[in-house]
Amino acid sequence: MAISGQVQIPELSRIGEALPAGGSDAALIAAAVSGAEAAFRELFRRHTPHLLQFVTRVLGASSADAEDVVQDTWLRAYPALVTFRNESSFSTWLCSVGLRAALDSIRRGRRHTAGELFDDDASSDPPPTEDRMDLESAIARLAPGYRMVLVLHDVEGFTHEEIGVQLGIAPGTSKAQLFKARRVMRALLTGREKNDA
Amino acid sequence: MHNDNDCELTADEQVMFSSLRRELQPGDLLEERVVRALRREGHLGARKRSARRRGQLVRIAAAIALFAGGVATGRYVITPDAPQAAAAALPAGMAGDTNQSSETPIPVSGELIVAETELWL
Repeated sequence: MAISGQVQIPELSRIGEALPAGGSDAALIAAAVSGAEAAFRELFRRHTPHLLQFVTRVLGASSADAEDVVQDTWLRAYPALVTFRNESSFSTWLCSVGLRAALDSIRRGRRHTAGELFDDDASSDPPPTEDRMDLESAIARLAPGYRMVLVLHDVEGFTHEEIGVQLGIAPGTSKAQLFKARRVMRALLTGREKNDA
Repeated sequence: MHNDNDCELTADEQVMFSSLRRELQPGDLLEERVVRALRREGHLGARKRSARRRGQLVRIAAAIALFAGGVATGRYVITPDAPQAAAAALPAGMAGDTNQSSETPIPVSGELIVAETELWL
């Protein structure tokens, strides 16, 4: 889904006004930047379902909370569209904006600082349970720091270096978090978490 | 330190992860909420267009002001020389209303006098 070339606003804005349902991301972005609402709506419809799923997993929250973060994500992303280059796919870029919005939401809600999210303390363990659960529920039960790294690495396919950049942590910290996250996740999946905790 | 090999996902776990849902459909109102919020901030729709139009108007006004300034400057530069030029075009003794003294003869050529006379006729 990588787009090619720099954004060419004047040329592509005309395409945007013609409502390009099948247009490329680059064309839609350029048209949306120039104020074409139809192009923005198409971009929104194309990328929001994945963004919403990603944000919901990262937050481990209800879809209503996640929708607030998705709205915040688009409000942050729109002014930055002009800076988007083809270094990554638009979906990946949008998810990185969504991740920052989700991090801010978690920090606001739980008064975490950036470092505290990835602290290795007992309070980051999920509540004890003996019930087996599906993977989606297990991910949602993880502590925020564990959950973010697990989702980024195992679900979205980011490398530890990329996760480090996104979360402002060292790649080694990301590896350590992933190791612990998988351990807790396995315990939750098999119902052994109570004994492990 | 942990052993990285112990941490690797098993084949079953990889299948579980790959079968996770990739998309979640948003509610019907989310798109409208986002579009309205972007309009409020002047990013989309009418406000964006009016901002562009305002920019064009400012550019046109600046161009007109520049042109008018050029005209005014041109007039100012030319006007101080005008009395001397007029006096130079007049025959000796007829330039009394200029700031040139009537006692000092104004050097004029015969061609200039002829041209000026033709204009009067």
